[in-house]
Amino acid sequence: MAAEAIITCEGVVKRFRGFVALKGVDLAVRAGEVVCIVGPSGGGKSTLLRTINALESIDGGSITVDGRRLPGSGRDVRHIRREVGMVFQSFNLFPHMTVRRNVALAPMRARKLGAAEANARAERLLARVGIAEQIDKYPDQLSGGQQQRVAIARALAMEPRVMLFDEPTSALDPEMVKEVLEVMRELAGSGMTMLVVTHELAFAREVADRILFMVEGAIAVAAPPKEFFANTADARLASFLSKML
Amino acid sequence: MDLRPALTARPPRSAADGHAATVTATDGAPGRRRLRIDGTDVVSFVLGAAILVAVASAIKWSFVATLDPGVLLQYWRPLLRGALTTLAITGAALAVGLAVGILLAVLQQLPIGPARWLILVYVEVWRNTPLIVQLFWIHFGLPLLTGISTTAFASGFLALALQSSAYLADIARAGIQAVPRGQWEAARALGLPAVSLWGEIVLPQALRVMIPPFTNLALSFLNGSALLGLLQVGELMTAATRISDYTFKPIEVMSAAGLLYLLLNLAIGRAAQGLERLTAVPR
Amino acid sequence: MHFDTSVIAQNLPLLARGLELTLLLVAASLILGTAFGALACVGKLLGRGLLYWIAVGYIALLRGVPELIVMFWIYYCGPLLLGARLSSFAAALAAMSLYAGAYLAEIFRAGVLAVPRGHVEAARALGLAEPFVWLDIILPQALRTMIPAFIGVVTIIVKVSGLASAIGVAELVYEATIVSGQSYRYFELFTAVGACYFALIFPLSLLAQRYEAARARRLR
Ligand SMILES: Nc1ncnc2c1ncn2[C@@H]1O[C@H](COP(=O)(O)OP(=O)(O)O)[C@@H](O)[C@H]1O
Ligand SMILES: [Mg+2]
Repeated sequence: MAAEAIITCEGVVKRFRGFVALKGVDLAVRAGEVVCIVGPSGGGKSTLLRTINALESIDGGSITVDGRRLPGSGRDVRHIRREVGMVFQSFNLFPHMTVRRNVALAPMRARKLGAAEANARAERLLARVGIAEQIDKYPDQLSGGQQQRVAIARALAMEPRVMLFDEPTSALDPEMVKEVLEVMRELAGSGMTMLVVTHELAFAREVADRILFMVEGAIAVAAPPKEFFANTADARLASFLSKML
Repeated sequence: MDLRPALTARPPRSAADGHAATVTATDGAPGRRRLRIDGTDVVSFVLGAAILVAVASAIKWSFVATLDPGVLLQYWRPLLRGALTTLAITGAALAVGLAVGILLAVLQQLPIGPARWLILVYVEVWRNTPLIVQLFWIHFGLPLLTGISTTAFASGFLALALQSSAYLADIARAGIQAVPRGQWEAARALGLPAVSLWGEIVLPQALRVMIPPFTNLALSFLNGSALLGLLQVGELMTAATRISDYTFKPIEVMSAAGLLYLLLNLAIGRAAQGLERLTAVPR
Repeated sequence: MHFDTSVIAQNLPLLARGLELTLLLVAASLILGTAFGALACVGKLLGRGLLYWIAVGYIALLRGVPELIVMFWIYYCGPLLLGARLSSFAAALAAMSLYAGAYLAEIFRAGVLAVPRGHVEAARALGLAEPFVWLDIILPQALRTMIPAFIGVVTIIVKVSGLASAIGVAELVYEATIVSGQSYRYFELFTAVGACYFALIFPLSLLAQRYEAARARRLR
């Protein structure tokens, strides 16, 4: 299993001014695997995702993504960021650019794609996430669900090997959650390697190969969905699940 | 003195206001205010009239009668040319100041300790000394140090450009910091190179935030540029003092020059509003 | 070229007298400007009538015309219009006071308008007479929020005071011009004078920043 791991975290430690947010996290994600991370707020889920994308430096241990190791050189960081797509809770679309340009920009700048090719890719991906007709609008003219789907298309435009999602539906009104989860479900079905922080337990149960339970900066439980929801050994997980249901 | 209408910043007749409610009732025409004089009007009129009477009684009206607007018909060309020069030198200085200011603000964001300190000192020195001292220092003092003497025009331009660069570094810093953190993170997560991150994501958004403070700064520098008249740089103030000295008609000429500055101010304010509308992101 | 401090030392009494006049000019024009500003602020708050329009015109004019033009205008045109002699100090004082007043009027107004409406209404509901509503509720709060902006105007007025040299007021810049014209030590003198202004203005800027930061913290 470890041989074909595309993400490997070994003893990852992250501190914020003395406060330890990650207490030596070990994790291996195989290519094509869908891993969901759940847990109470403040448990370090976002921090873990952000260290994998080198948005946060780490204070101990190592992370290997697609053969490149963190902490590493600027080149390693750039390589990893190109091969890892990230979707944020708050979308973070570029408000001063059209939807089309939001999606086409990174392939042109970070992958040196021609404008025509990048545009074609943007059109194709926006059609895939179901918003082809909004292509020349600006982000603030779209609904939250539409914005998040654009953000997914934007990350996919880099043709990443891994996609990270940090609570992609938490900022959405309930009626928009479904449309975003639908896109993610389709993506998982297509064989994309995904690491998803979410509170949508039904989605995790259906889509995930493995579910991780993170509390206090450590992975407390890691199991396939069936076992995960049947787990009664971990009191904190039991209490968390009872609150979520 | 009833300052309530303005203080509460809403139409004076509203049922929520006890005092006004009675008025509405007796008026019997809610929504349509009949012409009514109250304390506010009386106070406003009495104080205003007192000021006008005081000013009017101080003025020597026999002299006012001898004013000669004809002098303006004779000299409107050099005045206008001066106004255009003012506009050009201020505009050029601000353009340079903006470029330098943005560069300084960007450098300040980078984790280079000494550069940060140097920039901070530069900004504070220019911001906390008078333009007139800077102008004289550059024009009279600096050549003694460097051995290069600058023309009045160059000195004036340099003073405006340097001081504005300090203010603009500060404005640009605030503009950059106003770009949400998520924008940086999204750009980094996409692997955008630094040039693209700054040039396409951060600065375009920062510049938009900078338009209102930049406009205020531009207006204050437009007026500040009158100072260059002291070195006879050839802009509007120079033209005004020359014509006024030559014709012995300071009232007509200085008033006209003041009016021209006022018009330039209004025009720039208008243009800035247009620019803001033009760069607004559809939502 | 070497930095010759002796010329500064020799002319220290003259420069000190210039500084004294600068400070006097600033203090006097801030006091007068506060009066002008308060009156114009009342005019703006009234919202209509003669005083309102006078205030609107005054503020627009003084903020739209260069300080130097105002100073020259009063110095050269004042005596003609009034048919009386006008010292350069009086002209500079008048110009700077009017200028300060136009800025302060807007600052005062913003301060008054920033007082939460609920406080005013609560005071009136308690039956407080209007003068006490102003004295006990509005002004104390308004004055506090105004402090940083007021300090900002003080720094502006210190800077503007240098322009008075142009009409012959013997303040700091004027004395420096005279001394350096005789000694040809422009660099030393204007560096020293610049440092002097910096020593006056920079602490005020820091103070304003401190107040502003404290206010932002309180609002959060
Ligand atoms: N930039 C930061 N500075 C200081 N503390 C942080 C920072 N980011 C996260 N933390 C802290 O780290 C802990 C984990 O945060 P996070 O990873 O966001 O948790 P989760 O996503 O599971 O809710 C929290 O206690 C949070 O306050
Ligand atoms: Mg989180």
